[in-house]
Amino acid sequence: MRTILPLLILCYTASAQVNEPDRLMQAFTDRAMADKVARMATDERIKMYEALANYKPGDSHYQNLLAGTFIQKMRETMDPGYLDRAAKIVGAVLAADGSDYEALRLRSQIELERHNFTKVAEFSRELIASSPEDPWNWGTLGDSLMELGQYDKAAEAYQRMINMRPDLSSYNRASYYRFVSGDAAGAIEVMKRAIGAGSQSSENVAWCYVDLGNMYFKIGQLSDAERAYLSALRAFAGYYPAYAGLGRAYAAQGRVTEAIESYKRAQSAVPLVEYAGALQDLYALAGQPDEARKQAGMVDMIDKMEQASGLNVNRNLAMAYADRDRKVDRALALVEGELHGRRDIYTYDALAWALYKNKKYEEAGTAKEKALELGTPEPAFYYHAGMIERALGQTEQARKHLEKALALNARFDPRQAPLAEAALKEIAR
Amino acid sequence: MRLHAFGVAASALLMASGAFAASHRNGPLLLEDQTANLNDFYIFRSWEQGHTNSVVMSMSVQGFQNPDNGPSYYKFSNSVLYRFNINNSRGLDGNPDMQIDFVFVDTIAPNAPFVSYLGQITSIDSPGIFLKETYVVVVRDLATNTATFFDKDVNGHVLSVAPPNTGPKGTPDYEQNLGQPSIFTLANGMRVFAGPRDDAFYFDSGATFDYLNFRSPAPVLAGAADQGPGAAYPSAVDGFAGYNISLIAMEVPINMVTANGAIPTNTSDPNAHIGAWAATLRQQVTVRQSPNDPLQFGDYVQVDRVGNPLTVELLIPLGMKDYWNRSNPANDSQFAPLIADPFFVSAVLKGVFGLNVPPAPRNDLLGVFVPDITRIDLTTPGIPNAQQSRLGPLGGDNAGWPFGGRRPGDDVVDIGMRAAAGVLVSGFDVAPNNQLGDGVNSNDVPLLDRFPFHAPPHAGYLHSQANCTNGQGTNCQ
Repeated sequence: MRTILPLLILCYTASAQVNEPDRLMQAFTDRAMADKVARMATDERIKMYEALANYKPGDSHYQNLLAGTFIQKMRETMDPGYLDRAAKIVGAVLAADGSDYEALRLRSQIELERHNFTKVAEFSRELIASSPEDPWNWGTLGDSLMELGQYDKAAEAYQRMINMRPDLSSYNRASYYRFVSGDAAGAIEVMKRAIGAGSQSSENVAWCYVDLGNMYFKIGQLSDAERAYLSALRAFAGYYPAYAGLGRAYAAQGRVTEAIESYKRAQSAVPLVEYAGALQDLYALAGQPDEARKQAGMVDMIDKMEQASGLNVNRNLAMAYADRDRKVDRALALVEGELHGRRDIYTYDALAWALYKNKKYEEAGTAKEKALELGTPEPAFYYHAGMIERALGQTEQARKHLEKALALNARFDPRQAPLAEAALKEIAR
Repeated sequence: MRLHAFGVAASALLMASGAFAASHRNGPLLLEDQTANLNDFYIFRSWEQGHTNSVVMSMSVQGFQNPDNGPSYYKFSNSVLYRFNINNSRGLDGNPDMQIDFVFVDTIAPNAPFVSYLGQITSIDSPGIFLKETYVVVVRDLATNTATFFDKDVNGHVLSVAPPNTGPKGTPDYEQNLGQPSIFTLANGMRVFAGPRDDAFYFDSGATFDYLNFRSPAPVLAGAADQGPGAAYPSAVDGFAGYNISLIAMEVPINMVTANGAIPTNTSDPNAHIGAWAATLRQQVTVRQSPNDPLQFGDYVQVDRVGNPLTVELLIPLGMKDYWNRSNPANDSQFAPLIADPFFVSAVLKGVFGLNVPPAPRNDLLGVFVPDITRIDLTTPGIPNAQQSRLGPLGGDNAGWPFGGRRPGDDVVDIGMRAAAGVLVSGFDVAPNNQLGDGVNSNDVPLLDRFPFHAPPHAGYLHSQANCTNGQGTNCQ
């Protein structure tokens, strides 16, 4: 709504801040900024809020805006330095005033990024107790419950969020829940709404396009997936998860050179371990064993750096090892570490796969049941389940699940999909 | 270090390790929601020949549009329902009696190029329009619970959004070829328009945001600076000059919006007064899959609303903001204590400028802002732009804001400042209270005396700092 001088003139409250024109100016500036800020890149926003925060160091509002923008920058770059800067600012604001609501909301978001899911659930519930009408808190509550595997309660929280305010952030979460709970068609429709709703940060829109592409990919609609990733790149140039998505889509279409090119772009922006793993497979397929070895070395290097910083929790690293039958004991330890603070279906799937690779088939069988609990259309879940069942001698189940994985997307992974096919053939023999 | 062989710096690798390497799904959380944000709401009796027994309502969205923002250009959101609410009964309590909705759909032409518009566009049906935005109008009577849909005009033409004004080569004679032809007459007698227009709002925002650094003679205007066109640039700078907005406008026969279906002639007739406001809504969805319908989309939820140009949004604490946005104006009385003693008055007008202002509680302001709807007396005829007073009722022209609706030309900034200073309260209509203003007295371009009344959009080609529009205003030399 138009929020410039006039609304202030008549409406700004006198009760708390009489004779403090600063409050008025702040409100003036904020509302005028809202429209302008919408056209600013994140770096420009950071500069502007830094200037404002320096100009009025005593005003926590600008500190909070700056912290929120640092979190946005972290989303775009995956550079944890930005998260640390946000956390430092929020910590200082809360040290001065433990009841600063804006800062408390940001704290939930920061702790989510740090994977302190139990804490986030607790913080969110505290904020809900005082501000039950703010969709933000229901969003962070739902996010943390999803990671803790409390899906029913997460669905309730997300429903509250979307009932209060249907917008990009709540549509995105509703869509994700639908996908996880087995409704790919509904998830795709709702994700399109998220994209239509838009955001002042184009990265947010690109994020939704990547989510959409990932869903299409998992149910085998490869050209739709490719289009969604390209749309993400149009919305936000250089977006690394969109390049990774394109790499996946190209690999599934047998376009290995383009797949490598796309993954390299993602990797040069943010060297995630799963990108190194994918590149290792693709280089092997392309007949470039030296390059493949280098990527395997990259996985090891990431692991070493993790260990050097005392981190032994990482299911993605575990999968990078397990998928390629390397260091399977380390893989299992990494997933077990993850399981302490995270009990969602993806962690159980990783656990099942790591147990299988360690030949602990009985335990793997229990874990894969949990991963399949919601009927999530993840080809890898069904592939893992099928392989475990085959090892357990449950041939019929194994056939059913391997077929299901390939029915969802026959090319779900350049290395694993052929292994699934081979296992199916062997069963049929 | 070996890592450089990968073309990946060690620092980059470091940052990807730790919790990030096993990142969770960090879905976005929004600080601002641009597409559903409303800017201004207008309601006034038409003064266009042949249409004087109609009332015009319009809403503007997506402020500060750069006219040269090609090749994609601004459009209405397909996920938002844009709604006009009309309250004509129960003493204007802030509950709607009638709602008129606009819903937009994008159609991309087959074999579309990357750009939305290509070549010269000289008609609203030009083959160069590849992104076709159309809309449906839904008229809802809440008393009878009936709804009427219109997706075509009386000639069978789809209701299409006016294309952008790219400039003299791409869109020559814009208003004649594209602007006016985008006005459609519906079978129920309404006329509608949706598309880009000049932002009719004018205000020296730059001076105000520079810590109330008004450019002399503001903030106290006298003589020509008050009565005339206002101070000349650079003594007053219209911060909204040269920018476009997206406008949704409708002209409705008066007897369609009154409770008794008649055209009132006497101001003491309760049917002579209506109130109205604009809102944006988005549809709920169920998080869980429904057994019936794979999507089972739910109710529409209001995500923003605007009644008066001086909204109360700022006094709503952050945790309550969406609650306020979702609620009906009928519930606004809960915010009355905050409005009855406005900070601007006690701290700024009194504290900074030393003005003598009425004491709290300010019931004169409550009458305008609670509930937050714009009221209009339908028996007051509309008058052409040239004869209007920018100060509306404060200037002896009862067909303007805040009691006679709100027209595009009303100087709501100056009216607001003076009302805040108490000129509506007996004994306070004195200098300098009744001379306050920002120094910008009119819009940067002339408003129209015909539907949709907002001026045609600035052309992308002409838009520049040099052509006497952007950031300067009407009176630049």
